[in-house]
Amino acid sequence: MTPEKPAIKKLYALSNEGRKFAFSLPLKNVVRVNGRDYSVELREDEKYGVHVLWKNRRYPVEIVRTKQNRYEILFNDISHTFTVETPVSMQRKKALGTAREKSTTLIVRAPMPGRIIDVLVREGAEVVRGEALVILEAMKMQNEIQSVVSGTVVRIGVRSGQNVMKDDILAEIKVR
Amino acid sequence: MKKITRILIANRGEIAVRIMRTARKMGIETVAVRTAVEPDAMYLSHADFIHEEDDELAEIPVFLDVEKLIAIALKTKCNAVHPGYGFLAENAYFAERCRDNKITFIGPSPDAIYKMGNKPVARQIAMKHKIPMAMGSTGSVANEDEAVRHAARIGYPVIIKAASGGGGRGMRIVRMESEMEKMFILASREAEKAFNDPSVFIEKYIENPKHIEFQILGDTHGNIIHLGERECSIQRKHQKLLEEAPSPALDEELRAQMGETAVRIARAVGYYSAGTVEFLLDSDRNFYFMEMNTRIQVEHPVTEMITGIDLIEQQIRIASGEELTLRQKDVKLAGWAIECRINAEDVQAGFAPAPGKIEKLSLPEGPGVRIDTGVRAGSSIVASYDSMIAKLIVTGRDRHEAIINMKQALDKIWIKGTKTTLPFFRMLMRHQAFQAGTFTTSFIEKDLDRYHFSSEYEETIAAWIATKLFTEENLSSGKPGISFDQGRELTPWLLRKRLTQF
Repeated sequence: MTPEKPAIKKLYALSNEGRKFAFSLPLKNVVRVNGRDYSVELREDEKYGVHVLWKNRRYPVEIVRTKQNRYEILFNDISHTFTVETPVSMQRKKALGTAREKSTTLIVRAPMPGRIIDVLVREGAEVVRGEALVILEAMKMQNEIQSVVSGTVVRIGVRSGQNVMKDDILAEIKVR
Repeated sequence: MKKITRILIANRGEIAVRIMRTARKMGIETVAVRTAVEPDAMYLSHADFIHEEDDELAEIPVFLDVEKLIAIALKTKCNAVHPGYGFLAENAYFAERCRDNKITFIGPSPDAIYKMGNKPVARQIAMKHKIPMAMGSTGSVANEDEAVRHAARIGYPVIIKAASGGGGRGMRIVRMESEMEKMFILASREAEKAFNDPSVFIEKYIENPKHIEFQILGDTHGNIIHLGERECSIQRKHQKLLEEAPSPALDEELRAQMGETAVRIARAVGYYSAGTVEFLLDSDRNFYFMEMNTRIQVEHPVTEMITGIDLIEQQIRIASGEELTLRQKDVKLAGWAIECRINAEDVQAGFAPAPGKIEKLSLPEGPGVRIDTGVRAGSSIVASYDSMIAKLIVTGRDRHEAIINMKQALDKIWIKGTKTTLPFFRMLMRHQAFQAGTFTTSFIEKDLDRYHFSSEYEETIAAWIATKLFTEENLSSGKPGISFDQGRELTPWLLRKRLTQF
């Protein structure tokens, strides 16, 4: 951003679930909840690390930025994901959103490092939403990795007995 | 048997710390094993001696290596071994090898471990002693045809379990005959891969039961008592998350009846040391023997808190050949205790393990609060072991007070560096079914629409934080007020997420 551009007056944080939070600039240390303003402060010290001071209580905060304007905020041990938009980028996003096509294949990744105990489907198999694809054992637990869509398995990326890292591709499913 | 003077701790983490604490109190020396995975682990600082084990290239962890552990015990002049839980705690061969080498195994006899560890054998013993059990196959089931015949006799739904299983792994529920072939093959294959034994057996599946277990203490002179029950129905994927003692579902009469049954099973295998008899309790208050765990349990502290008995001390005394000084009539349950397992897990991702480095750690303390932990700030929760960070045990005069105290303790815990099960427990303490005590083992999977608690303000504050970061990175000319990654180490958890962007 260069100082010559007109000053931005507002920012929007859009949650993953589609909720919109508007903040006026310059950003004040105030958060409005149910029509009331509360003061909020972001701090850092040796003992607690980064935290928020809210109604005389400390809450732990961690930030994972996943993309340019996309933030995953771990607040009080719960993660929330937002994209932060300016009024201009908001308009553009809206325009793009209507034109954008839905992706037709789903890539299933390992949610955690572990060992593949079993592969339950074959390439070419039809699966329904919720059907188990592989069993991944990690940290003393067997986890069924399920398909979140119905479709056809176009690729299996692992075999039984194999160790996987987090985010390794387990399967690819063509959405029906 | 001889006096125990030095114990090899064949375990790690919080249970290693727990055992060493009692050993020190009793004037017994301890030896802990340093491994390549966790060279700076907290448990090492509680030991009198440390054995350095260069296991970086070893095929199996040292805590699973029978001969290696025997060699270490002999070399470090330990005359006893405590296996803790997990690893070799329920391995009859390990107990036998200790005996061969005149090392006292702090636990039951190899024979009792074998009989209770092999589930079909345990079922046969229980049947012989007229212990109430869910209907099922007498021994292992050879193939799917036999499985179908058993299921037709006992009625669907049934559950297929691994004969050598335990810890909630290798189980499949079958609701109709058409599913049997597929489920039988899956269960058998999983059992072979997980336990090196493909044999499975079949039981009637009890719908929506409570998981109630009884703590047993027996000595080598034939005395066996029980220390009341633990309620462990809060589970996900058959893994316990919260335990309490006593159970809100039992009255004195049922407690006496189930306790007497638990003692009878223990007596049937000549049990000594601490042990746990697990039952399922159905909605009509019928109880069924499920299995016996021949070790100290993760959740043993809730029993200690309401009985005032140190179970590790009892294990050590019994292993030394001492007679129990407690009689059944001396056992008094006072107050209420709840334990929450604070694990490195992502509640928002269905309790997926979330290993990482603990950056900051502050645990509550004070009267009525007990913490059993094996980590401190700077420790790592590594993917090769379980995901436990700490056990938070809170007591109260009654259940209501214990819940209030737990709610406060949960708000005082401060953990940074990994996601934890804390949001789940914060939700649970506020949940009506939990407060009423009516929950069953299907509670997490069926009765919850969300796994975590978050107040209405929290998302708004998180949105404000995201916006603040955006303004500091994009709109301000100066440096950001707070740096999130400079001046501190990146956690592996954070780092992995970042790497995936490239």
